[in-house]
Amino acid sequence: MSAFLGQVLNGIATGMLYALMGLGLSLVTGVLNIPNFAHGALFAIGAYLLASAANLMGNFWLALVIAPLGAALLGLAIEYLGIRRLYAAGHDYQLLFTFGLALILSEAIILVWGPVGYSHLPPPILRGGVDLGFTFYPKYRLFVMVAAGLLVLGTWLFLEKTRYGAIMRAGIENKEMVSLLGIDVHKLFTAAFALGAYLAGIAGALTAPIRGLSPGMGVDMLGIAFVVVALGGLGNLLGAIAAGLLIGVAQAIVAAHWTEASSVVIYAVMAAVLLVRPQGLFGIR
Amino acid sequence: MNRALIAILAAIVLLPLVVRPAIASEIWIFAIFGLGVNLLLGYTGLLSFGQGTFFGSAAYVAGWLLKHYAINVFFALGIGVGVGALSALVVGYLCVQRSGLYFIMLTFALNQLFYFVAYQWTSVTGGEDGMPGIPRPAILGIDFGNPVAYYVFVSVLFLASLWIMRRIVESPLGKILQAIRENEVRAEAVGYDTARFKLAAFVIGGAFSGLAGVLYAMLFGIVPLEAIGFVTSGNVVFATLIGGSGSLYGPVIGSFVFIWLSESVSTLWARWPLLLGVAFVIVVLFFRGGVVEAWSRFAAWRERKWRSSKQTG
Amino acid sequence: MTQFKKRRDTLKLGALAAAGLGFPAILRAQPKEIVILGLWDQTGAFADVGPLNDRGMKMALEERGMQVLGRPIKYITRDGGTQAGTSTRRTEEAVDAEGAKFVIGPWSSGVALAVSEVAKRKKVVHLFSGGTEDISGSRCHRYSFQWAASPYTAAKTVVDNFMKANPKAKRWHLLVADYAFGWSVEKYVKEVGKTHGIEFVGSDRHPLGEREFSNYVQKAAANKPDVVAMVNFGGDAVAGAREIYNFGLTPKVPLIMTWSSGVEELVQLAPEIRENLWVGTNFYYTVDTPAAKNFVKEYQTKFKLPPGYAPSAAYSMTHMLLAGFDKAKSDDVQAVVKALEGLQMNDIVGPMRVDGATHQTLRPYFLLRCKAKSAMKHELDFGDVIATGDAPLPREYAACKDIGAF
Repeated sequence: MSAFLGQVLNGIATGMLYALMGLGLSLVTGVLNIPNFAHGALFAIGAYLLASAANLMGNFWLALVIAPLGAALLGLAIEYLGIRRLYAAGHDYQLLFTFGLALILSEAIILVWGPVGYSHLPPPILRGGVDLGFTFYPKYRLFVMVAAGLLVLGTWLFLEKTRYGAIMRAGIENKEMVSLLGIDVHKLFTAAFALGAYLAGIAGALTAPIRGLSPGMGVDMLGIAFVVVALGGLGNLLGAIAAGLLIGVAQAIVAAHWTEASSVVIYAVMAAVLLVRPQGLFGIR
Repeated sequence: MNRALIAILAAIVLLPLVVRPAIASEIWIFAIFGLGVNLLLGYTGLLSFGQGTFFGSAAYVAGWLLKHYAINVFFALGIGVGVGALSALVVGYLCVQRSGLYFIMLTFALNQLFYFVAYQWTSVTGGEDGMPGIPRPAILGIDFGNPVAYYVFVSVLFLASLWIMRRIVESPLGKILQAIRENEVRAEAVGYDTARFKLAAFVIGGAFSGLAGVLYAMLFGIVPLEAIGFVTSGNVVFATLIGGSGSLYGPVIGSFVFIWLSESVSTLWARWPLLLGVAFVIVVLFFRGGVVEAWSRFAAWRERKWRSSKQTG
Repeated sequence: MTQFKKRRDTLKLGALAAAGLGFPAILRAQPKEIVILGLWDQTGAFADVGPLNDRGMKMALEERGMQVLGRPIKYITRDGGTQAGTSTRRTEEAVDAEGAKFVIGPWSSGVALAVSEVAKRKKVVHLFSGGTEDISGSRCHRYSFQWAASPYTAAKTVVDNFMKANPKAKRWHLLVADYAFGWSVEKYVKEVGKTHGIEFVGSDRHPLGEREFSNYVQKAAANKPDVVAMVNFGGDAVAGAREIYNFGLTPKVPLIMTWSSGVEELVQLAPEIRENLWVGTNFYYTVDTPAAKNFVKEYQTKFKLPPGYAPSAAYSMTHMLLAGFDKAKSDDVQAVVKALEGLQMNDIVGPMRVDGATHQTLRPYFLLRCKAKSAMKHELDFGDVIATGDAPLPREYAACKDIGAF
C-alpha cells in the first residue's frame, strides 16, 4: 500500500508540472487558436535562464523569479513580431512558424550554452529527502509540487476573479464579442501568449534541478503538453489542470507495473479519449 | 507536355550528375511522399501531422517481408501501398470527424502512439536500433544494388505517381475535395458526404506515403525508428509548404529544396537546423505559397515590367 | 513496349550518369591521401559525446603529424545524429563521395550495428567502441572491430570485485538503458551474478535519453535492494544517479555504474551523490600506464578536464588503426584488416590484443570506487581504480562462429 501511495505522490508531483505546462498551452491555443509548437522551447529557455541566472547571481530564488520573466518577454516579442501577422493565415502556416521558432530556439540554446547536458543542483535547503512514512521523498520535488500547485491556483484565480482574466476567458469563448465590446483583441492575444510563455518558462525553471538541462528537453514536454490540452479540452483551464494530474498519476502507476509502457500509455489514453469525446474529458463542444 | 513536366524530366536526367544517385533517389521518394500529403493539405485543406505513421508502417511491414521472406520487388511495392492505405483508413476513420486544431492534435497523437509501439516492439522493429538488412531484390536481371539502376526505378515510379496524382486532382473527386477545402459546410449542403470524401483523400494520401516508405527502406537498406516519428511527419509537411501547397508540383519542388539543402548544409555546420528554422519563419512571413507562389509572383512582376517597358518604349 | 523503353532509358541514363559520376572524381581526394571518417554525433542523444570523440581522434592523428605511410591523412567527420538512418546515410556518402575507406564510430551501439552493415557492404574498415556484444558476436564480419572490452569482461570485473568488497550484498536491482548496449551488458551482469548467488529483485528498462527517473527509482526503492546497478550512459546515468540519491537510496545502498564514461559523468555529480558510488569503465585517467600518463597530461593541458572514456576510446582506436597501417605497410583494406587481426599493442589501457576470430579486443576493464568528499585530495580526485579485469568471453558464449570472408 505504501508503495502505491508513493507512486501516487510522485504522480501528483509530476502531474502538477504537466498541469502547469498544459495550462499555458491551453491558454494559448484557446485564446489564439493556433498550434503552438514553440511551447516546449520556451520551457527549455526557462530552465537555461534559471541555471545561468542562479550561477551569475548565486541566488536560486532570485533566479526563479527572473527566469520565467525572461521567457515571458521572449513570448511577448514572438507574438508581437511574428504570430500577430498569422492569425488569418491558417493552421499550416502557424504550425510551420512555431515549429521554425522551436528549431531556432533550441539551436540557439546549443550555440549559447553548448550541446552538453548540465546539472543544476537545488538550493542547499532543498537538497536531500524527507521520510514521509510511506515513502522517502526528495525535498525539492515536494517544493516543486507545492510551487506548481500555487502557480496553477494563482493562474486560475487570475482568470476567474480578475477583470483581465475574465477578458481572456471571454476571448476563448468568443473573440468577436470581445472586440465588439471595445476591447483591443490584439493586446488580449499578446497578453495571453506572454502569460502562456511565462507558465512554460517557470515550469522549465522549476524542472531544471530535477531533470537537468539539455537542449532537447523541450521536445518531450511539448508532446505531454499537447496531450494535456487535448484531454482537458482546448481552452478549458480547469480541464488542463485535471488532465495534467491525471496523466502524471497514470504514468506513475503504469511505470510501476509495466515500465516499458509508461511512454505509450499517455498517447494511448489521449487517442482513446479523443475518439470517444473529441472535445476532451472536460471540454465543451 | 507543359513546361513544368519538361522541367521535371530534365531534373530527373540531370540530377544524378550533380548529386549522388542515393540523394537523388531520396529526393524523388520524398516527392512521392509529398504528393500524398498535399492531396490532403493543399487540395482538401486537411493538415495531417501524422503522415509518418503510414510511411513508417509500410516501411516496416514491407521491410520485414523483404528481409525474412525474400519477396520480390513488385510485391513489396504492393505491400507498401496496401499497408499505407490500410493504416490511413484506420487513422483517417478516427480523425475525419474532427476539424481544426483537434484534427491536427489527433493525427499527431496517433502518430506518437504508432511511434512508441514501434519503439517498444523491439523483437520486430529493432526499436531504437532500427530494422537493418533490407535487400533490394533484382528483377529481370537488373541488379538494383547498383545505385543508378535503383535511381531509374525510383524516377519511373515517381513519374507514375505524378501522373496518377494529376489524374486524381483533375477528376471529379479532386474537384469535390477542393470544394471541401473552400467551404465544407456548403459542400455538405450541396449533398456530399464530406466525411467519406475526406477519408478517401486520407487513404489515397496514405497509399502514396506507403509507396514512399517502401522505396525509402530499400534505398537505405534500413528502416530507422525515426521513419515513423513525428519529425518525418513534420518534415514532409514543411517541405510541401515550402514548395507551395497550392500546386501539384509544390511538393516536388519542396522535396528538392528540403532534402538537398539539409544534406548539403548539414555537412557544413552542425547547427544547420537553425537555418532551417529561419527558412520556415521567412517562408511564413514573406513567401506564403512557397516557392511556387514566389516564382509566379516573380514571373508576374517580370511580365509587368516587360509590358510597361513596351508601352513606354 | 514499356519494358523496352525502360531498358533503353536505363542505358541512356546509365551512360550519362556514369560519365557524370566520373567527373567529380577528379575533384575528389588526391589518390595519395588516406581518408579516415570519424562518425561522431553532434546532434541527438549523444550530442555531447561527439565533440569529445573528435578531440581524442584528432589528438592521435596530430601526434603523427596527420601522416602515415609517408602519405597525408585526410580526417573527415560526419554527424550521425545518434540515429541509424542518418548515420548510415552519411557513412555511405563519405565512402562514395570522399573515398573514405576507414571508419571510426559512431558512439551509440545500436546505430553502430547499422553502420557495421554498411561497412560490410561497402568493404571498408570499421572500428567501434561500445557495449553491444553483437559486433564481435552474432553480427560479426571481416570489416568491423570492437575496441571496448567485451560486456562479459566488464560484468565480470565489476561484479566479481564488487562482491569481494561487499560479500553480503545479494539483492540487486538493475536499471538498464533500452537498446543494444543495455541488453548486452545486462545479460552478462545477470550471468556473472548467478555465479555469486545474487538475486535480481528487479530489472527495469528505460528509453535512451530518459530524464524522468522518479518512477523507476521509486520502484527500485520499493524492492529494498542491497545494491542498485545501472547499465546506462552519459546523461541518462547522471540523471539516474541524481534521482537515486534524491530518493534516499544512496549512500546507504551502493550504486554501481556498470559501463560509465568516467570523468565526464562524475564531474556532473555532486560529491554527496558520489559517496558509495562504484564505477566500471573502459578508461579512467589515473590508470598507470606510460601511454595513459602522456595522453592524460596532453589532454588536460588542452581541455582543462582529464579525459573520460569517450575521447580515450577515440584516441586509442585511432592508435589501433594507425598501428594497422604500420603493420600492413599499406592502406589496402584487406591488408589492414589482416594486420589488425592478432594485433598486439600497449596503449593507454595497458596491453591489448585483437582476437582474430571475433575481432574483439582483449584488454583490461577498470572498477573504481568513488570517494567521499572529505577523502578527496583535489577537485578531480573522484576515486581510485581498485581493480582491473581482463577475463575474455568464454568460448561457449561466443556467438561469432565464423568471421567470414572478404
